[in-house]
Amino acid sequence: MTIDSTALTQAPLAGPTPKSMLPKVGLRLPRSPKVIAGLALLAPFAVVAVIGRWISPYSPNATDPQHWVQHVLVPGTGPGTGITANYYPLPLPPSAEHWLGTTVFAQDVLSQVLTSTQATLFVGLIAAVIATVLSILFGVTAGYFGGNADEVLSLISNVFLAIPGLPLLIVLADYVPSAGSSILLVAFIIAVTAWAYSSRVLRAQTLSLRNRDFVEAARVTGEGRFRIILAEILPNLVPIVAASFLFTTLYAIYAYVAISFLGLGGSPTSSPPGLWNWGEMLREGFANNAIRGGWWWWWAPPGLCVALLGTGLALVNFGIDEFINPRLRVAGLTRKAAKKAGITSHATLGMTPVVGNRPAVPSLAARSQNVGDAVLEIHGLSVDYGYGDDAVHAVVDCDLVLRRGRVLGLAGESGSGKSTLALAAIRLLRSPAVITGGQVLFHSKPIGGDGPRGTIDMLASDKEELRSVRWSEISVVLQSSMNALNPVITIGAQFDDLLRVHRPKLSRSARVERSGELLDMVGINADRLRSYPHELSGGMRQRAMIAIALALEPQVMILDEPTTALDVVTQREILEELIGLRDRLGFAALFITHDLSLLVELADEIAVMYAGRLMERAPAASLFNAPRLPYTHGLIHCFPPMHGKRERMQGIPGSPPDLNDLPKGCAFHPRCAWAMEQCRHDVPQLAPVNGSAREVACWLHRGDAKVPAELARPDPGVAEVHA
Amino acid sequence: MSTETPVLEGRDLTRYFWVKQGRGPLARSVPVHAVDRVSVRLDAGKVTALVGESGAGKTTVARLLAKIIKPDEGQVLLNGRPAPRGRPRSYSSQVQMVFQDPFASLNPVHRIRHHLVRPLEIHHMAGGNVDAAVAELLRRVALNPPENFTGKFPHELSGGQRQRVAIARALAVRPRVLIADEPVSMLDVSIRLGVLNLLAELRDEERLAILYVTHDIASARYLADTIVVMYAGQLVESAPSATLTDSPAHPYTQLLLSAAPDPDRVTPPHLEGRGAPPSLSAPPSGCRFHPRCPFVMDICKREVPPSIAVSPGHVAACWLHVDPAERGGGENGVLATPSASMENEIKR
Repeated sequence: MTIDSTALTQAPLAGPTPKSMLPKVGLRLPRSPKVIAGLALLAPFAVVAVIGRWISPYSPNATDPQHWVQHVLVPGTGPGTGITANYYPLPLPPSAEHWLGTTVFAQDVLSQVLTSTQATLFVGLIAAVIATVLSILFGVTAGYFGGNADEVLSLISNVFLAIPGLPLLIVLADYVPSAGSSILLVAFIIAVTAWAYSSRVLRAQTLSLRNRDFVEAARVTGEGRFRIILAEILPNLVPIVAASFLFTTLYAIYAYVAISFLGLGGSPTSSPPGLWNWGEMLREGFANNAIRGGWWWWWAPPGLCVALLGTGLALVNFGIDEFINPRLRVAGLTRKAAKKAGITSHATLGMTPVVGNRPAVPSLAARSQNVGDAVLEIHGLSVDYGYGDDAVHAVVDCDLVLRRGRVLGLAGESGSGKSTLALAAIRLLRSPAVITGGQVLFHSKPIGGDGPRGTIDMLASDKEELRSVRWSEISVVLQSSMNALNPVITIGAQFDDLLRVHRPKLSRSARVERSGELLDMVGINADRLRSYPHELSGGMRQRAMIAIALALEPQVMILDEPTTALDVVTQREILEELIGLRDRLGFAALFITHDLSLLVELADEIAVMYAGRLMERAPAASLFNAPRLPYTHGLIHCFPPMHGKRERMQGIPGSPPDLNDLPKGCAFHPRCAWAMEQCRHDVPQLAPVNGSAREVACWLHRGDAKVPAELARPDPGVAEVHA
Repeated sequence: MSTETPVLEGRDLTRYFWVKQGRGPLARSVPVHAVDRVSVRLDAGKVTALVGESGAGKTTVARLLAKIIKPDEGQVLLNGRPAPRGRPRSYSSQVQMVFQDPFASLNPVHRIRHHLVRPLEIHHMAGGNVDAAVAELLRRVALNPPENFTGKFPHELSGGQRQRVAIARALAVRPRVLIADEPVSMLDVSIRLGVLNLLAELRDEERLAILYVTHDIASARYLADTIVVMYAGQLVESAPSATLTDSPAHPYTQLLLSAAPDPDRVTPPHLEGRGAPPSLSAPPSGCRFHPRCPFVMDICKREVPPSIAVSPGHVAACWLHVDPAERGGGENGVLATPSASMENEIKR
């Protein structure tokens, strides 16, 4: 064998680097509006925490009973009563001298707030640091080592979880009377009650990371345990650690405020003196009738501080949450973009949105062609993911006609748009997928039941119309369908539910009979109606899903990689069943797969997709034996033969294209051995070759280009096509 | 079969997994016989393919050979000597593994350089110039020019490129054995051959001993020198790859071949032995394939079939290949040439 696989990797590097789909944490976080708002709220607190002590106008304990309070005469005392005048103090409202007024003890509220911020924040931060370190130590170690270490460490964290935090805190704070005077001590006591929850979360995450391939690969490389934990596992936990750090900070601040409010933080005037903090301020205020007296300037500032700080931390936490769960972020972004494009979210619920002003596309009937046995007509269908300039054109201008009783194969690699095309046609994709053009007509002639008759414009239909067609007339089996069975209900009950809703006239016994018949049809014993999904193998569950898809006698079945996750023997058995059923029941099937070799045995006609476009369409035998498209030719030679001489095969150089960054002209040209100058500039359209029924989108078959011998083999199926 | 000492050999490898059956306090652990007395040998400059359905125990054998997990019975021999206990660096410097999913086998937070530098550092392979060594590795797996890749994160590469990085990482320690667990099954069809050809080059140029684990018998035929077929945790057949696919001797191999997609086939295949693999917590007695086997005999239900040399280098564990006179004895290791009538029966 000769060695030259360099060419295989050259192609994708040409041109600009594709837009990265997963930007780094640091770059993405500040852009989220939630994080920005949160940080804006937190910033003043951070500044005050550091410099508060120096900018406070007075000492928090400074008191001036002569001037900083109003003196109100106690009724029934003073001149004329015979009793010595007795005064009681009232706090002063905000003034130029005391911006936030004073307390009943003749102390400056602003000074107290500024000083309190420091202790409150530092206790929160230090407690969060201690708790996070503890939770990483316990959680990650337990998760990574497993076994007895896990048992012991988990037991400890479970015990801490089981003890209610606040009572423990109160007891601890009460038993260490000097605690209130030391930030570190308070923080430590709070941390002890706060670490267990994040420790559980980190343990669970580590457990799932521990057996990931990249950790296993590091082990096989000979990497040591601690290096694996530090360099391979911990970096992947950063977003979770960050989120739990913020959460713990918030918890610690609330806890500190709470115990101080209960008087356990130690009074700043006792010995040893406790620290000024918001909880302490609130306690003094409440204990001295600040609310009843209407002295809002005393209790409102610390209360507001707690609320604002909590909001700020929560906002940043949400932002991190969105980062960890990209689905949350995407949902938010697309809703906004969709609104701009004039699509509201309620209209997109459960069906693919369609852009309002689609260019008109002539249907078969409009082109005065015979509709004949066509059951699903797709014309000029274009589907985008996303809106506006960021839109990815997943499917561009695709035509397909599905005929009754025929199997149409749709072949392509991942990202070629084959599933998008099929699922958008029946409007099963959710936003951000959006149909930007084309027409889909469903010519309904129900096989059984009483479905709608006549032609239905799928893209103009509302939810009700779609519902009347979906499943009963057009059903879908996906690769993951076998996981879609409800795990807590028997197979029989799931059949029964479907029949009861869609065939209300059937009696209970008739439904049971029909369910058994359906299972029997896909080669499963009717006894299995009583089984739960987990009692069936993957292959059997997929068969059950096919039976459910067939239950209402649909006219069209869309099969999207229905056997890809199954073993070859099971795959073969299911395909045999499907073809037999197609012959008997006469439904049309759209079979989507990446496995061209399988499709050749199965389909009547095959369409090949590449980078969102249909590139070649021909009867199966013609396509396999006499491909006209360089890509199809290459794809066929990617499947090593089962017979004959073992020869080195080349495959297709380069990689499938990135839809974000498609090459100009024909999307396949960077990988094509026969690419010409024109291929680099102009996109070829699907058009018939030499007047035959087969179509190809390739410049080699246009004009006076010389067709390579490999792409001009005699077509075994030509006669058939004409007939 | 070569008389040279195999680089890596697994002898009678057996591995159970314990699973809980039942719920609550009544649950009891039952052993799942994931791998049962499996012997494989990997020779220098050869690719051995391990073929079977999911659950057949292929990956478990690969992981036993890579010493990611320990066998319950049997042993692993490296260069003819029992491999050291645990997974010391002396072992990982000779036996390396490539995983199935290139999206999962590279750490998403580290750049490509990190993935290649670590094995070089751990095994002191770089000899002072780490960057040159990394570039050389990337060039060996045809990622050119290397400087375009070293600074990238895994998610910035395509699946095929990622799998090449994973192979480069395995090559960094200059191993003698490469265990590749379904290295192309997660890749797009059009780039699979590129990775398979790369493995072929490594075999030919560096005389690597390669174990290619796959469920795709056509790709095994393409790449491998020898194919070993597993069913329900046991070996059922092993032979030079063309021999195995052209004249399979075990009914299960025949079933597997008839079920595989084959566009050259004129008429639809006829499947002999439908159904699913058995539960491995209570495997069938005798031959584990007997409940599905179209040629099942009484003895198949009672006794485990011996491994029979059907022809030189072609071994099948099936009673059909034991001389009828000998079947009564049913001793393991009985050698017999299949009679003409038997051959016909099998090829039917």
